[in-house]
Amino acid sequence: MANFNTHFMVASGASAVVSGTLLSMEVVSPQEAVIAFLLGVFGGLLPDVDSARSTSIKIGFNVFSLLITAMIVFIKSSTYSLIEMFIVAGLVFGGIRFAFLDVFRKISKHRGMFHSIPVAFIFGIIVSILMQYFFELNSQVSWVYGFMITTGYFVHLILDEIYSVDLQNKRMKKSAGTAMKFGKFKTTKDKIQTVLIYASIPLLMTIAPDTTLIENALFSNDAWLIFKDALLPTDGKWFFH
Amino acid sequence: MKKQFKIILSTLTIGLISGCVPAPTPQIGIGIGDAVTQSSSTIQTPQSVKTPQSIKRVEIDKEYGAKPLNYRTSIHKYFSVKIARGNLSTYKYGVPKRAYKRKGFAYGGAVEWKGWLVETSIATPTKTGRMLTPKPYMVLFSGEQIVEHILGYNHKLIIKVDK
Repeated sequence: MANFNTHFMVASGASAVVSGTLLSMEVVSPQEAVIAFLLGVFGGLLPDVDSARSTSIKIGFNVFSLLITAMIVFIKSSTYSLIEMFIVAGLVFGGIRFAFLDVFRKISKHRGMFHSIPVAFIFGIIVSILMQYFFELNSQVSWVYGFMITTGYFVHLILDEIYSVDLQNKRMKKSAGTAMKFGKFKTTKDKIQTVLIYASIPLLMTIAPDTTLIENALFSNDAWLIFKDALLPTDGKWFFH
Repeated sequence: MKKQFKIILSTLTIGLISGCVPAPTPQIGIGIGDAVTQSSSTIQTPQSVKTPQSIKRVEIDKEYGAKPLNYRTSIHKYFSVKIARGNLSTYKYGVPKRAYKRKGFAYGGAVEWKGWLVETSIATPTKTGRMLTPKPYMVLFSGEQIVEHILGYNHKLIIKVDK
C-alpha cells in the first residue's frame, strides 16, 4: 500500500490535470478550479481516514472540524457575542476533533468498506448535496466538486492496488484486491453492510442536485467538441500565438 | 468512566450543533408591493404622459413585488458582461414567475429573496466560434433589478411559486 506522501503527490498531480482540463473547457471559473483541485487532493487522502493512526485521519478530521466550526460561527455571528461564539466554536471543534474522532477510530476498520468503489461515489454525491444545500452553489459546480472527490478517491484506490504488486519478487501481495472492491461478502455482517451502502446511493440521489448540467458539461457531444478545441492550439501555432 | 465522559461529550456536541441551527424566518413584503394593500393588484405607470399607447401596466404582487417588464433588455445587458462571449450569444426568454430563495444552510437557511424569476436559455459560441447547445439560467429579479443569476432551471434552495 502506498504511503501518505505518495498518495498526496499522485492525488495532487491527477487533481491538477482534471481541474485544469475543466477550467480549459470553461466548465468552472478559475476560482472554482482552485477549490476543485483542493477537493481532488482531499478526495485522494480520504480513503485512509479509516486507518486509526494515519496522517489522513488527522487531516480529514481537522478539515471537517474546522468546516463545522466555521459554519457555526457564520450562523451565529449575528446573534452571539464574541465570547459566546468563542466558547461554542471551541466546544464544537474539540468535540469533533477529539471525541468524535476517538469514537470513529473504534468503529472503523482499515481497508473495510472505505476502500470500495460504491463509497467513492457516495462521498461524491454527499459533497455535491452539501455544496448545493449549504453553500448555495449551482448544480453544475456542486457536481464538479463531488466529481473531484470521487476522482481523487479512485486515484487512491488504484494506487493502493498498484502497490499490491511486488515487482521484484513478481508476486501479488496479500493486500491485492482489498483496496478497489465492489463490496465485502465474506460474512453476513459484511453482506448487510454492502447492501446498505448500495441502497444508500439511490436514496442520496433523490436529494442530490439536478444532474442534467453536469451530464451536458462533461459527457455530451458539445463537451467532446470543447475538449478537442481546448486540447490543441486552434491556430496551429505552438507556444507563439 | 472515561468512556462515559466521551459519550456525554459527543452527545452534548451533537445537541449543541443541532441547537445552533436557527429556524428559518420568512421575510415578508419586499419590493414596492409593500405599499399595496391587496395581495395582487395592477396599477398604471405612465412612461410618457403625452401618448396613451406608451402607458405600461405594472403588475404588483404584495409579497413578490413588481413584475419586471423590461426583463429581456435587462437580461441581455446583464449577461453581455457576465459570461464569456455573452454579447455574441443567442437568448431565449421565459415569462416571469413568482419565486423565492432560501439562504444556504451554512448561512442560516432563512428566506433571502422573494421576487420574480425569469428562465432564460443562452446559446454561447466557443472560442472557435462554434455555437453550443443553449445553457439554462434562472435570473432573479426584484422589481426591474436583477439580483443574481443561477445556472440551471433547478436549485434545491429555489422554490418556484408559479409553475
